[in-house]
Amino acid sequence: MGNGNFKKIALSLAGLLLGLILAVVLSSQLSPKGEVSGTEGIFTGAIASKTGVPDDIVDAALKTYVPPGEHDEYYMFSSGGHSGHVFVYGVPSMRRIRTIPVFTPESAVGYGWTEESKEMLGEWRWGDAHHPGLSETNGEYDGRWLFINDNANSRVARIDLDSFTTGQILGTVPNIYGPHGAAFVTPNSEYYMMASRFAGPVPHGTYSPIENFSEDYKCILAAIAIDPEDGEMSNPWQVLLPPWSYDLSDAGKLGSDGWAFLTSYNTEEAYTLLEVNASQRERDYIVAVNWRMMEQAWKDGKYTVIDGANVIDPLDVPGAIYLIPCAKSPHGVDVTPDGKYIVGNGKLAPITTVFSFEKFMECVENNDFQGEEAGFPIVNYEKVRVAEVEVGLGPLHTQFDNTGHAYTTLFVESAIAKWSLDTFEVVDKIPVHYCPGHLVAAEGDTVSPDGKYLISLNKLAKDKFLPVGPSHPESMQLIDLTTPKMKILYDNPVDPEPHFAQMIKADKITKNVFKIYPKDESQPGAVYTKEDARTEKNGNQVTVYMNSFRSRYYPDIVEVDEGDEITWYVTNTDFDEDITHGFGICLYDLNIEVQPGQTTSMKFVADKPGVYPFYCTNFCSALHQEMQGFLLVKPKS
Amino acid sequence: MGKFLNGKLSITGRILFVIAGLLLVACLFFPWWRLELIATIYPEGLRMEVFANKIGGKIDILNNLNHYIGMKEISEADFPELQFMVYIVGAIVAIAFLTAISGKVWLGSTAFVIAGAGGLLGLYDLWFWLRKYGTDLDPMAAIKIPPFVPPMMGQNQLANFTTYSSFQLGGYLLGAGIILMLIALWRFRRWEKPAVEQ
Repeated sequence: MGNGNFKKIALSLAGLLLGLILAVVLSSQLSPKGEVSGTEGIFTGAIASKTGVPDDIVDAALKTYVPPGEHDEYYMFSSGGHSGHVFVYGVPSMRRIRTIPVFTPESAVGYGWTEESKEMLGEWRWGDAHHPGLSETNGEYDGRWLFINDNANSRVARIDLDSFTTGQILGTVPNIYGPHGAAFVTPNSEYYMMASRFAGPVPHGTYSPIENFSEDYKCILAAIAIDPEDGEMSNPWQVLLPPWSYDLSDAGKLGSDGWAFLTSYNTEEAYTLLEVNASQRERDYIVAVNWRMMEQAWKDGKYTVIDGANVIDPLDVPGAIYLIPCAKSPHGVDVTPDGKYIVGNGKLAPITTVFSFEKFMECVENNDFQGEEAGFPIVNYEKVRVAEVEVGLGPLHTQFDNTGHAYTTLFVESAIAKWSLDTFEVVDKIPVHYCPGHLVAAEGDTVSPDGKYLISLNKLAKDKFLPVGPSHPESMQLIDLTTPKMKILYDNPVDPEPHFAQMIKADKITKNVFKIYPKDESQPGAVYTKEDARTEKNGNQVTVYMNSFRSRYYPDIVEVDEGDEITWYVTNTDFDEDITHGFGICLYDLNIEVQPGQTTSMKFVADKPGVYPFYCTNFCSALHQEMQGFLLVKPKS
Repeated sequence: MGKFLNGKLSITGRILFVIAGLLLVACLFFPWWRLELIATIYPEGLRMEVFANKIGGKIDILNNLNHYIGMKEISEADFPELQFMVYIVGAIVAIAFLTAISGKVWLGSTAFVIAGAGGLLGLYDLWFWLRKYGTDLDPMAAIKIPPFVPPMMGQNQLANFTTYSSFQLGGYLLGAGIILMLIALWRFRRWEKPAVEQ
């Protein structure tokens, strides 16, 4: 040992290392990494200009342009109204990314044909999706679930945001007609409240002459509870309310957490020609419900069971409901991000009224009431009202930004007013095209809105887009909130009916989205190898265990007898991103979709004899056209 | 030759054998060789990685794509060498450590010869399988292509796929271990008192 040895080792190792490095360098030269030099950089920092194009248009284009291959900053979930769907957009590009069928069948994805979705949809062929609400943790969107109500058939749904599919439909919820004012989720997703827009005799199916409206026709507040683990919805309790037509609601947050606020527009208790008869009073009410007290009353058993629902008579729970007078037939009610103010949007009065939650609680504690109606104390209006902001004509909904401003849509005026939560004065106003209903700001109903983007959800588009006949698309307009004056960046035509939307930072969702269904041998009907694919016949019960992968079905010849009851499972064993297969049977009115790794099923009776080709309906591969087979139904005789 | 085999390694030589043994142990945990396929619709790449005892990567997807050109399905069960490769490497490691303890050149030479021969066989084996999979194509396949042999190292074009094959860390560790043994046997024997043991 000594210097000589050391030198020898060092030299040998150096040689070895050199060899290794050379090898690694060589092989990395051969491998493709690093060759993918994208187009990024072209747009960064570049100043676009084009002769004759005004600067503000160039500016708007740059703010909304998302180059090929890049993603949007926000997801926007927009209600599809009476299409029964939810539409998913990217903001700021406003590209429609996805349609999620919720309350209505959608053959494109087999929704309403697969056993699972058929069971969820039940007998209903349409629904009226209204107000999407994202799940929250500590008043912030957590990106787990989206909830939405069906105003037509008293249902609510949960969309799972790891797969963007409807995971549960609850309902028909008993006793409630037209649950318009959901889903406004509590800050920790305990509940959302929905109340009847239409009063009616309870339970469903009960007859009572219309003249008995005030006595027999009830409105109901249904509390939809959310399981914190899996999002499973249930309706543990309901509250009887006077027949006042409840419009919208919001959950208190931070200091006002534990309360729900509902607007009412028919305290006149009119039942005909509501346009006139429900518009007589100068003020209707915001109904404040202490849902924690109601929950306790339910736990204490203070309810009667009507049609399976536990219905609480609020007069048995004194101190749980108070009325706040609000002008006039108020539409939306929105709690400010700090939870301190409740904003009532006047609809038939040109004002939004700002109420202080603190003052409201003072009235409650000091019995400072100006009267009573239907057994509920009416808090002192002069005391709780902080401001009547003169926003303009037809105020409907309000959202918030990160700099202490509120934004209110003005339906009649076709504009959006920006006003200060500090001075309660309008600081800016922008015309929109036309007649905005709801609006949505980036995370604009959480405890910490982002500002940045506001989208006006307009009821009319008129001539804003290429004509498509007498029926025009609805429209959405993207508005820039980063400049002192609001500015419209982009017009987007949309399908009916953008009632409300939620805008959430994309990374809160992308981290949870899975791309391929995991292999699960225990799943009923799943077959992961072609050797296991088969048809089993037991009397007239036929079960097909089908395996599908680019570009084949196993089995691809299925023979049954007329009248057989068929359960048909299809598994997609292409565990490969975006390789979805369809499975449609000609002339049998059947089509389903199987996403990568997924097993779905459908049931039908082979009641028509003959030969029926089936084929892959979701283009999958170069030999997609060959992905087909035959269902042979042998006649009975 | 006899004199060589009866010789003993110096302390340095024995340490090199310890290191060589450790490198061989380490090589079991990393892929030895990789085939990566890139196409426009697979910008993220489809990889197949060969370990001492398994084939990793997106084999299912590759197999599914390969069936279009009639390539046999790649399945671990078809490679008996994956069953015993670990034991051979284990045996070499054991001999290498014994060499380090005893310092006996003949033991060290045994380890080197097994490892070296094994390595060459492994290279042949790889070529053999590449050739087999590339040329033994089902004549009934939907897409008919001329038989091909993908290179062991380097780039190849197959329909819409560009393939890149390369040796990986495990392979390099294995090679380094063998070379270390060679260096030890070659330069680090004890020259003094060669006949004392006899």
